[in-house]
Amino acid sequence: MSLCLNRLQEERKQWRRDHPFGFVAKPKRTEQGTLDLKLWSCAVPGKKDTLWDGGVFKLDVIFPDEYPTKPPKCKFTPPLFHPNVYPSGTVCLSILNEEEAWRPAITIKQILLGIQDLLNDPNPESPAQAEAYNMFKKDRPGYERKVRQVVRENPPM
Amino acid sequence: MGRQFLPALFIISPPLLPHSPSEPPLEPPNFPGDVVAHHPLFNPLQPGYLPPISITPPSTRKRKAAEAAITDDQPLPESATKAAHTGNATLVGRSRKPKPASTGPATTCPQSTESASSASSTCQKKRELATPATTEASMDSDDDFMSDVSSQDDFLDMQGSDDESLGEDFGDLDTGFSDDKDLLKQKRKPYEVEFKVLNPPEIEREQLVQINEVSAILGLPPESAAILMRFGRWKQEKLIEGYMEHPEETLEEAGLGTNFEGTAKTEVVPGFSCEICCEEGDDLESYAMRCGHRFCVDCYRHYLGQKIKEEGEAARIQCPGNKCHRIVDSRSLDLLVTDELKDRYRTLLTRTYVDDKDNLRWCPAPNCEYAVDCAVKTRDLRRIVPTVRCICKHEFCFGCSVADHQPTPCTLVKMWLQKCEDDSETANWISANTKECPRCVSTIEKNGGCNHMTCRKCKHEFCWMCMGLWSEHGTSWYNCNRFEEKSGHDARSAQAKSRASLERYLHYYNRYANHEQSAKLDKDLYLKTEKKMTSLQSQSGLSWIEVQFLDTASQALQQCRQTLKWTYAFAFYLARNNIATIFEDNQADLEMAVEGLSEMFEKPVSELAELKVDILDKTAYCNKRRVILLSDTAENLKNGEWSFNVEW
Repeated sequence: MSLCLNRLQEERKQWRRDHPFGFVAKPKRTEQGTLDLKLWSCAVPGKKDTLWDGGVFKLDVIFPDEYPTKPPKCKFTPPLFHPNVYPSGTVCLSILNEEEAWRPAITIKQILLGIQDLLNDPNPESPAQAEAYNMFKKDRPGYERKVRQVVRENPPM
Repeated sequence: MGRQFLPALFIISPPLLPHSPSEPPLEPPNFPGDVVAHHPLFNPLQPGYLPPISITPPSTRKRKAAEAAITDDQPLPESATKAAHTGNATLVGRSRKPKPASTGPATTCPQSTESASSASSTCQKKRELATPATTEASMDSDDDFMSDVSSQDDFLDMQGSDDESLGEDFGDLDTGFSDDKDLLKQKRKPYEVEFKVLNPPEIEREQLVQINEVSAILGLPPESAAILMRFGRWKQEKLIEGYMEHPEETLEEAGLGTNFEGTAKTEVVPGFSCEICCEEGDDLESYAMRCGHRFCVDCYRHYLGQKIKEEGEAARIQCPGNKCHRIVDSRSLDLLVTDELKDRYRTLLTRTYVDDKDNLRWCPAPNCEYAVDCAVKTRDLRRIVPTVRCICKHEFCFGCSVADHQPTPCTLVKMWLQKCEDDSETANWISANTKECPRCVSTIEKNGGCNHMTCRKCKHEFCWMCMGLWSEHGTSWYNCNRFEEKSGHDARSAQAKSRASLERYLHYYNRYANHEQSAKLDKDLYLKTEKKMTSLQSQSGLSWIEVQFLDTASQALQQCRQTLKWTYAFAFYLARNNIATIFEDNQADLEMAVEGLSEMFEKPVSELAELKVDILDKTAYCNKRRVILLSDTAENLKNGEWSFNVEW
C-alpha cells in the first residue's frame, strides 16, 4: 500500500480511537459506495467563550497523492466569512503550506485544532478575502455582528 | 610627449606575410634616428597629421610590444622587448593577426590614458582621421622597433589602425583576466571595474575555507558551523560577535540547538513507531537528529528528496517533526540520501551561498555556471556602472544583472526599461493626441469637422483650437485667431507640454530601439561572417588569419551598438548643459563611425578584400570612440558631474 493510503488508514484508526470533542472527521464515500480515503468531510466547532462559540463549520479535507510529504487542502463548504479563508473556501494557514510550516508528522487532529484556533485568531498579515479582512480591520463591530450571524447559520448538527 | 608616431610596433616583413593587393608596401622597422624627419608633429601639412588624442605611456607600449612578441601569459621581463626586437618573425605573425577578444593571449590592457585625454579629445573628435594616429603617441620607447627605412605617409593611417585594432583586442581581453591585479589596477579604464570569475568548485572551496575557520574559532562541528554561517549570511565577524554575546539564542535562531553530542547514525530502536508512515516493527531502521525527533529512514529519505528535488530547498530544510525548527545538517543528509541528491544538495547550497554574498553574482547567461566576484556595493551604483565579463563571454552589469548597459547607471536603466514597457506611454499618447473638455474633463479625440466642439457629455461648447469658450469667438468662427485668450491658455500649455514630452521620449526611444534592432541584424550578419570569410579566402587567396578582420569588425560593431543603445536611455534622463553637449557630440561621433562600419560590412564579398584596410581602420576608430565616450561618461559619473532631469 502506498505511503499516502497507509498513513490515512492509520489517521482514521487514531481518530476513531480518540478525537477532540465536537470535531468531525471521516472519509467520504464515493458514488459506488466505497470509502474515499483521500477526501474527508470534517467539521470544526467554534471555541468556547469566543465569538465563534456555538457554530460548527463544515469543511472538506483533500489529500494529494504526495501526502504526507505535501499537506492536504482544507476547504470550507460553503466558503466561510473569515479574513484567512479564500472566496473559494480554502483555508490559508501556515501549517497547511508546504513552503512554510507543513511537516509530514502533522496529523489531521493537529490540522483541525489549528483551524479552530485560526477562527478566533485571524492573521491580518495574510488576508485571503477582501470582505472579511476589510471589516476586521476597519469596522470591528460590523465584523463581529457578521460573525455572530455566520455562527447562527451554522448550528451544530 | 604627445608626438604622433607610427606604430613601430607592427613590423611586417614582406616575405613572411602575404598581404592584400590594396595594402601599401609593408613598412620596415624604424629607428629612432630618423623618426623626427617624418614624424607628423613636425610635418603638420602632412595629411595624416592630427593632434594626439591619446597617449600611451612608454612602459605600456614597451610591454605591449613585448606581449605581441612573446608567447601567451608569460611574465614580461625587460628582455622580452629585446627579444621582440630581433625576433621579427614571431612579431609579424602575431601582430598581423587581429584577434577576437576572447581567444587571444591574456594580457592587461595597455590603454590607460584615454581618460586623461578624453576631455581634450572631445574637441578634436570631429576629425575622424584622428584615430589612426592616436594610440602610439609616445616616442620615448620607440627604440623598440624603429627602423631606418622611412615610413610612407599615405599608409600611416593604415598601419596605425592595424596596430590599434590589436591594441583594442588586448584591451578587451583584460576583462577576462584578473590574475595580475597590480597591472589591472594600473591599467583599468575609468569605466572598468575589478572583478574575478569563479567556477563552482572554486565557490565551494571558498565556502569550505570560511566554514572551517568558524568551526575552529567557535569549536563547533563543521556541519553546524555551516548552518550557522548560512544563518548569518556569511558575515563572519558579526556572527562570531553575536555568538560570543548570546551563544544559546544564536544557536537556537540558526536552527541548531545547543546539543552537539552524539554521532549521526541510523538505528533500530525497539518499540519505535514512525509518526509519518505509522509503521512499526522491531527491525525498522530509523534516524533522529540531535533534536530527538525520530522517523523511519524511508520517510526521512522521502522527505529530504521532496525538499531537495521538488522544492529546491537545501540551506533551510527543517526537521520533519511538527514545530521543530532544527535544520537538517549535511552529515545527516549524507547519511540518508543518494549520491545524485547529494550533488543536487551541494549545488543548491552553492546557489544560496552566491545569493547570500553581496560580492558574488551569478552570470545570468543561459546555462552558465560561473559566478562573478566584484567588490562594488549597491550604494556605489550611483557613481559607477560595474560591467563585468564572464568566462562564457557574456557581459553584464554586476549591479543589476542586465546585459551590459554602459554608460547608463542601473537605476536609470530600470526606469527606462519600465518606461518602455509599461503603459505610461499610452497615457502619454492620449494626452498628446486628445484634449479634455474644459468643463467636464471628458477625453475627446477630434476626428473631423469644424472647430466648434460640443461635448457630448456636458454639452459644453468650446473651440478645439484655443480651448476657449465658443461664445467668445464672435464672428471669426473657423479662423481661430484668439491666441492669447485667457480661457484657452491653460488648456493649451498643458497640452503642448505633454506633446513635447511624448516627442522627446519617442526621439530617444526610436534611436534606442533602432540600435537594438540593428545590433540584431548585425548579429545575423555576423553569423554569416564565417561563411563570408571562407569564401573570401577562396576568392581572394587570403589566408585564414588575413580574413579575421571581419570577425573583429563584427564584434566591435556589436559592442558599439550596445553602448550606443544605452547612450540614448542615458541622454533621455540627462539635463541639458555643457557636458551633456559634449556627451552628445561623443555619441554622434560614435554613431557615425558605427553606421559607416556597418555599411562597409554589408558590402558583397568580392569587395570586402579591397575594403580590408578601411574596415580595419573603421573598426579601430569605433572602438576608440567607444572607449572615449565611456571613459568620459564614467569619469563624470564618478565625480557626480552629471545633472539629470529626474530624481533617482
